[in-house]
Amino acid sequence: MIRCKNISKIYHPDIVALKNVSLHIQPGEFVSIVGQSGTGKTTLAKLLFAEERPTKGVIEIGGWDISKIPNRDIPVLRRQIGVVFQDFKLLPKKTVGENVAFALEVSGERPKRIAEVVPQVLRIVGLGDRAHRYPHQLSGGEQQRVVIARALVHRPKIFVADEPTGNLDTLNTREIIDLLLRINEFGTTVVLVTHNREVVNALKKRVITIDHGEVVSDVEEGRYRI
Amino acid sequence: MFIAFYRASKFAVQNFWRNVWLSLMTVSILLLTLLSINVLLVLNVVTDRAITYVEQRVDVSVYFYETVTEDQLTSVVSYLRTLTQVKDVQVVTAQEALARFQTQHEGDEEILQSLNEYGGNPFGSTLVVQAYHVDDFDFIISALDHPDYEEWIREKDFSNYQDIINSIEASTDRVRWFGYGLSGLFLLITALIVFNTVRMGIFIHREEIGIMRLVGASSWFIRSPFLLEAILYSFLATVLAGALLYPILLQVEPKVDAYFGSVTGLTVYFIQNGLWIFGGQFLLLALLNMIATTFAMRRYLKI
Ligand SMILES: Nc1ncnc2c1ncn2[C@@H]1O[C@H](COP(=O)(O)OP(=O)(O)O)[C@@H](O)[C@H]1O
Ligand SMILES: [Mg+2]
Repeated sequence: MIRCKNISKIYHPDIVALKNVSLHIQPGEFVSIVGQSGTGKTTLAKLLFAEERPTKGVIEIGGWDISKIPNRDIPVLRRQIGVVFQDFKLLPKKTVGENVAFALEVSGERPKRIAEVVPQVLRIVGLGDRAHRYPHQLSGGEQQRVVIARALVHRPKIFVADEPTGNLDTLNTREIIDLLLRINEFGTTVVLVTHNREVVNALKKRVITIDHGEVVSDVEEGRYRI
Repeated sequence: MFIAFYRASKFAVQNFWRNVWLSLMTVSILLLTLLSINVLLVLNVVTDRAITYVEQRVDVSVYFYETVTEDQLTSVVSYLRTLTQVKDVQVVTAQEALARFQTQHEGDEEILQSLNEYGGNPFGSTLVVQAYHVDDFDFIISALDHPDYEEWIREKDFSNYQDIINSIEASTDRVRWFGYGLSGLFLLITALIVFNTVRMGIFIHREEIGIMRLVGASSWFIRSPFLLEAILYSFLATVLAGALLYPILLQVEPKVDAYFGSVTGLTVYFIQNGLWIFGGQFLLLALLNMIATTFAMRRYLKI
């Protein structure tokens, strides 16, 4: 599903974010990417949905080489990858339902389909009854679940979440991780970037550890070691 | 397709209202630009009309010797009428010339006295020749240097209307060049303001734009609200320019008419050609704004 071959990423002018990273993620896998701050985890996540392009190496998503993807093809890729990212929060002036619908509107979905999909994904994240609330009327955990719902509208084959539990307490973190597991059970490949020790240890899934831009360990049913 | 257009329009209108002051400022600059262009247009129309008016009244007076007979006169008239440049030939006979002179100087005893002393009619016949175009007078005058007629003609008087026309053109030319300069400057400022407005719009909507990009909205879709907004600005400015210009024209027209002593038909001209004038200005402005918008998007929208 995801294959990285010897990728390096150098930010202008000479910040080496990733060095010669190779990895292979099978369809339906749940992979955690861990490592200290500033080691290139976010950069790796961004490469997966072509927010950044690798300086060297090849990235294939479902057999599609996206290392030199032209801009006009990026939307096609993005509709197959659900993304949860710290920078992309909910729009405060839209209701929960409108926030989710927005993702469908801007990709040209028909109103009828939007009316079907929005309640569906809200139900998946357990917020079927919150469609008319505004983001500020929700808890941090609920907000993050709406963000996840929004990333699910295109029924993505891959789900990339960068520190989705970054600002949440233990209980809310637990709920989000359970939700990601549920999404994974539907068959979606999940890539979770985190530096939360408990989360990783509780998951008992594959863990890839990155340090200074390099993969230093990659273990099935891994534990957080740094 | 239709639904995408509807949504893009909705975003465009939202953008407009979201920073309504910036939008109003942009429209105001566009409006100023259009007004300066229209003042220029008014000036052109007025100059044109004034020149046409003067040109229509240009004529050559051909004075004949008293000895020239009516037959000879008629032959010159027929000759002139064969020229395609000649619009009209009026005959003022010697008697008419005398009568006209007498009425003109009625009460001026001294002049009438000397006329009496002269005894008889000192005036010859006169032909007043009108041409279709001022440029044709040179030709008509040289045509009268015909060997058959030359000796009958005492004088050809081409009242120097060319000077009047030149002076009209000279006085409006300076204003016109100023107008071109000003309009050009305003167009430049318009492009810069629109560029900046789009830049601000992108900044204000960076969260939405970020989300759009992330969920796979096409670049075309992300760009279209900004382009539509540029069209919206141009449209509003054009409508406002028309609405402002109409009462101004109504006010100005009588004054211009009085100044040139003619009917310029300014308002009627603008109404009759309104579609072309304002349609053209709208297209020009929309095109310019879309180019400025495209530049701003290229620079600040990372898509
Ligand atoms: N857009 C960028 N331009 C320049 N340097 C960047 C950029 N993004 C990240 N970096 C640098 O690349 C390195 C890796 O960053 P990042 O991938 O965000 O790490 P992490 O997510 O593990 O904290 C850091 O040194 C960071 O400063
Ligand atoms: Mg990070």
